[in-house]
Amino acid sequence: MRILFVMDQRADRGSIQCISNYVRAGDEGGYYIALYGRTDPRFPTVRFSTDVGSFDFVVFLVESWRQWMSALRMPRILAEVPRSRRAIVDADGMYNPIVSTDSYDRNDPYEQIRQEWLSHYRIVADKVFQPTFTPRDPGVRKVLFYGYDPSQHISPASAPPKKYDILCVGHNWWRWRQISRELLPAIERVRPYLGEIGFVGSWWDTIPAGAAELGVESAFGTDPEWLQRLRIQVRPSVPYTEVVKVMSTGRVNIMTQRPLFRELKILTSKYFEIFSADTTPLVMIDSDHAEIVYGPAGRELAPCDGVAEKLVDVLHRPKRYRDLVEEVRKHLLAHYAYQNRVQELTAALLRE
Amino acid sequence: MKLLIVSRFDRSARAINTIAKYAKLGKSLGHHVSLFSEPIGDVPDVPTSREPKAFDYVMFVVYETPDFPDLPYLAHLLDEVPRERRIIVGCTGRFNETIHVEYDFNHLEKMDNHQGWEWIDGFAAVAKTILQPTLAPVRSDAHGFLFHGFDPAAVERHYDTAGDAALAWARNGTEQKKYGLVYVGNNWQRWSQMRSLLQKIEPIKQSIGPICLVGWAWDYRPDWAAELGVQGIDTDSVMLQQIGVEIKGNISFDQAIPFISQARFCPVIHRPLFNQLGLVTNRTFETFCSDTVPLLMIPDQMAKSIYGPGASLLTVGEDVAGHIQDVLRRPEEYWDAILKTRAYLADRHSFQKRFEELSAILEK
Repeated sequence: MRILFVMDQRADRGSIQCISNYVRAGDEGGYYIALYGRTDPRFPTVRFSTDVGSFDFVVFLVESWRQWMSALRMPRILAEVPRSRRAIVDADGMYNPIVSTDSYDRNDPYEQIRQEWLSHYRIVADKVFQPTFTPRDPGVRKVLFYGYDPSQHISPASAPPKKYDILCVGHNWWRWRQISRELLPAIERVRPYLGEIGFVGSWWDTIPAGAAELGVESAFGTDPEWLQRLRIQVRPSVPYTEVVKVMSTGRVNIMTQRPLFRELKILTSKYFEIFSADTTPLVMIDSDHAEIVYGPAGRELAPCDGVAEKLVDVLHRPKRYRDLVEEVRKHLLAHYAYQNRVQELTAALLRE
Repeated sequence: MKLLIVSRFDRSARAINTIAKYAKLGKSLGHHVSLFSEPIGDVPDVPTSREPKAFDYVMFVVYETPDFPDLPYLAHLLDEVPRERRIIVGCTGRFNETIHVEYDFNHLEKMDNHQGWEWIDGFAAVAKTILQPTLAPVRSDAHGFLFHGFDPAAVERHYDTAGDAALAWARNGTEQKKYGLVYVGNNWQRWSQMRSLLQKIEPIKQSIGPICLVGWAWDYRPDWAAELGVQGIDTDSVMLQQIGVEIKGNISFDQAIPFISQARFCPVIHRPLFNQLGLVTNRTFETFCSDTVPLLMIPDQMAKSIYGPGASLLTVGEDVAGHIQDVLRRPEEYWDAILKTRAYLADRHSFQKRFEELSAILEK
């Protein structure tokens, strides 16, 4: 089977790592998988194609923006691939009723915008998948989509030197509330016991130009003075090919998730790539959900309460947590390998 | 011809004046032209429609990707009108290999995440006929079609003779005209030329009169431009203050001619990219409708081919100050050139001509 993904690819954000893994896992399993476009040095691990008509299915990977599905890209696809062979992976939960968490994060601001999304989706494809265990809309099918790639795993022997005790690799996109209410107060309490701390990603110390015009200023809340006071080093984002290596420079890596995704239990690339790094991941999600995704050991790595104590404990008892992480990796290998994901995706595409 | 124009509506940018002319003058010439849109209350002269099947051709007027409609409208257009009856007017040279001229460019991936090849593939997928407002398209699969035009009826003030014009202009120059020089347009890839112009006329600013720049981002460099490292929308507020330049925000397209008519001089400036590709704009023609002396700051060859031989006197060389002083000394000769150029534009570049040219291209 031949599958062509179409997305708004960026080297330092979004789901490009996942697409790279699909390409590789597809090759191993006898599937030909590519991303729409031409070979691009920024994406050395991705196969590209513009031969739209030669693919059995075209899968649009859609996040929070749809303007990239522009007239420069869509007409050929719409003309050459019938709607029945087109699908959408709704990665940000746009195909839902309006979901607003604490009047802060939301999928759509109001009903008219939601209807525009739905009418857009109806034209693009007749299958909509979401990377969650429990889609809310009856028209959506569960396809977990993201997975674990053991070949990315960095062993302690090959890992770069540890520069940080605590590292948070990701962008400040709707994450500030969780960071400011849960993580930073915890760090503040135990700061003398922690070494270097780094936030690697975009918008931790600045709000991007144009955020206010687009009405998404609140997605970029930040407090640079507080970060400075806590001696948190802010570093720019890195390309997807460097993410696991950079994570491996931290003894502990924190995974946060935007509130909407926590509410909808949406999976992302980060859920899995953080376990490829030579680090102890602490995933700031519900412990029940952590257990569903990561197995029983995952609960121990989800510090819903007692974040401060957990940070100190991980640094003081590294072997215990290394064992937990190994348990999770075994679980992920058994249940979330990309070979499984490819088969699940193809099965979903073939299902009427 | 029944022509449905598809483009993002903006009262103070891009081709809205030209589109309005196609609708209004097209009607008088027996054509039916509408804009693909819901009704626009404050532009009653421009009919709108969402029924592409009712038209012979759909013409996409494209500056940037949002000029194409979003889905589902785009899909309706593609479904209901065959590619053979779809036309794109690419106003900014996108349908070319990637070109950089000074700070200017025709593709910039970091602004819209579309690579250069996508513009060529995308345009070809949407339409069989791709037009560019230049006399000399670079690509063999693009047709030259100037698109914009001159409307003699829109001339702000008619004169029987150059002498009358010069007299009125000179009198107005001291008594009634509010400005010495104005430029109406957005500060997008025009700063290097504007800075040069202002620096050159600064020594004689007293004899010119007040200077005014009208449009977007003349007084600040947008944060996003700095963030993306996009040059070409720079400005120098200190220099503008020192020279005493007045800055105004955008004005509606239907206010441009009367506003420019309040000035004795108005430069005609094209983006560096446009100068290289020979692309014209609405303002290339519209400036000659205003009661002002145009300062043609475009390449000589381009000025000659668009405006005809009469305009050679209006072309400004390196010595801008000397040129302006010469106009002030001999206004009648310059107004003679302006009136001859208006007549040339009316003969060669009227909207009637544009419809004839468009029909000829489509009949091929």
